[in-house]
Amino acid sequence: MISKTEISAATLAAALALLAVPASAQQTGGAKAGKEKCYGVALKGQNDCASKGVNSCAGQSKADYEGTAWKYVPAGTCETIKTPKGTGSLAPIKG
Amino acid sequence: MQDWQANFARALLDRELPPPPGVSAPNSTGAPERFGVYRNNRMVSLLGALEARFPAARKIVGTEFFKAAARQFIAAHPPRSPIMIFYGDAFPEFLESFKPAQGVPYLADAARLEAARARAYHAADAKPLCREALAAVPGEALADMCFTLHPSIEILSSPHPIVTIFAMNTGTMDLAPIVDWHGEHALILRPEYEVEIRRISAGQAAFLRSLAKKNPLGEAISAALAAEANFDPANSIALLFSRLAIAMVRNGAGGVPA
Amino acid sequence: MPSGQLPLRAGAGFKPEHFAAISAARQPAGFFEVHAENYMGAGGAPHSQLKFIRENYPLSLHGVGLNIGSCEPLDRAHLARLKDLCGRYQPESCSEHLAWSSSGGIYFNDLLPLPYTEATLRCVVAHVDEAQNGLRRRLLIENPAAYLRFEESTIPETEFLEAVARATGCGLLLDINNVFVSARNHAASPQAYLDSFPLHLVGEIHLAGHFAAEADGGALCVDAHGSPVIEAVLALFDRVIARTGPLPALVEWDNDLPQWPVLLAEVNKVQERLCRAAASHKDAAAA
Repeated sequence: MISKTEISAATLAAALALLAVPASAQQTGGAKAGKEKCYGVALKGQNDCASKGVNSCAGQSKADYEGTAWKYVPAGTCETIKTPKGTGSLAPIKG
Repeated sequence: MQDWQANFARALLDRELPPPPGVSAPNSTGAPERFGVYRNNRMVSLLGALEARFPAARKIVGTEFFKAAARQFIAAHPPRSPIMIFYGDAFPEFLESFKPAQGVPYLADAARLEAARARAYHAADAKPLCREALAAVPGEALADMCFTLHPSIEILSSPHPIVTIFAMNTGTMDLAPIVDWHGEHALILRPEYEVEIRRISAGQAAFLRSLAKKNPLGEAISAALAAEANFDPANSIALLFSRLAIAMVRNGAGGVPA
Repeated sequence: MPSGQLPLRAGAGFKPEHFAAISAARQPAGFFEVHAENYMGAGGAPHSQLKFIRENYPLSLHGVGLNIGSCEPLDRAHLARLKDLCGRYQPESCSEHLAWSSSGGIYFNDLLPLPYTEATLRCVVAHVDEAQNGLRRRLLIENPAAYLRFEESTIPETEFLEAVARATGCGLLLDINNVFVSARNHAASPQAYLDSFPLHLVGEIHLAGHFAAEADGGALCVDAHGSPVIEAVLALFDRVIARTGPLPALVEWDNDLPQWPVLLAEVNKVQERLCRAAASHKDAAAA
């Protein structure tokens, strides 16, 4: 049988004391403006019935991932983030 | 399936194919370009759905790399459901095994955090317990209480400082070298309408994982202490009652949720 | 708030980006319309906002994923989700498209065209029947924007839509921008299309912006919903409502969203035209 952990009266009292602080003060960022608090900020939906235009040729260009050559390298903030193995886009790990 | 539909679908998915037979534009040469509008609609909208759900991953590798990777993901994992808000649940796993991204080992976990964020955003609404619920539990019974956690909650443990990386790539923290590189545990939670992503300790992560398995509070505290000697039970119990748990029942009792 | 049907007024597609502006004060919009699939999550901000809209305005639920125009079986799970949403929000109107969007288990996230034949008519009729029976309500079916046509088609689109409505009792959603876009893309006359459209079945009108380009096959219009409704489309709208009298008329704007006042100005423009049509209709009736 698993030995039972007791929760001390002191722990319970401390938890209750922490809970006495209004919830809004525990939140990071503080209280939100009324509407946002009541309804939230909704992200854009991704279903609609509009066409996406022909100015971007995403659907028409030749498959750029076919064959053996992958011409893209990660080139965003990973070049800034310093990891234990060094800064920048790390040398590709084989495997 | 009808031929016309199978042919159209096949040509939509394979850009090497000509437009399906039997479709026409007003003149004889226009069909490839017009069929391209449909291919374009599909690809642009799916890329848009992934870009909207994974902004930090995109920032980490840059737009060009992200789009190229996303195209490959779309080819391998096209949507199976018309509900686009959940498209991309499999994207983190895809990135994990995606060779060109192996040089950015934290990318997949950043994407996991973002995937969880979208799930939390759309999770069911539920009201957390409160101070009164805790005050009403007899002291000797507290260790035996089991909890239902808020439906939005997910815990993600990474060998990388994933909460910091996420914050730096979504504009809530300045981008800077992370000198003290260590793993982080993330709590993803949506108490009301806004998703919160909190860095939690190893003990808190073990505590919540244990509670999520319906273990009683006492056992969850033991698990937390095993993971982290400095674990502070009072703090986590307060968090549990104020934001994380929506119902509780005494272990073994069929009781009514609070 | 559900009153049974949409008012004969101008409405707007609801976008979450506009929620703060819309909820700040009562808006002179006759109704709002949302894409059903964007509200198929369980909870959170999307539902809290839709609840606000529902409580304050007539609501139209516009589906894009039911796959009515496919010859494969309907996705029962998706129909059940749509039914849940209708139950939760009791919209005044529920509509879908004469198009398909899934095949072989893959969802394409686009409204795709079908040939108009006796065989596809049977498929569409069966799907609309099944959907209406499942939802226990009448649907409006919308004419699509098309970039291509199938050589095997034997039935004009307007006749096809009328046949679907006759067989199922559904109503029609007339998208006048789609009429314009499709006609341009096939070197045809939008007015001729409207002359043959069964206007007595129309329960709602859609208006939107598109963009025009030159392409290999001549003019290519793309139904992009990212700009104001052009004057030529509004003129077609005027001619329709001169015949029918006022109808619920929606301004759709999905891409390159403007600020809410810009969209509202578009809605107001449409509302003025509805008012003019109502006045001349009344005069005609009195004469």
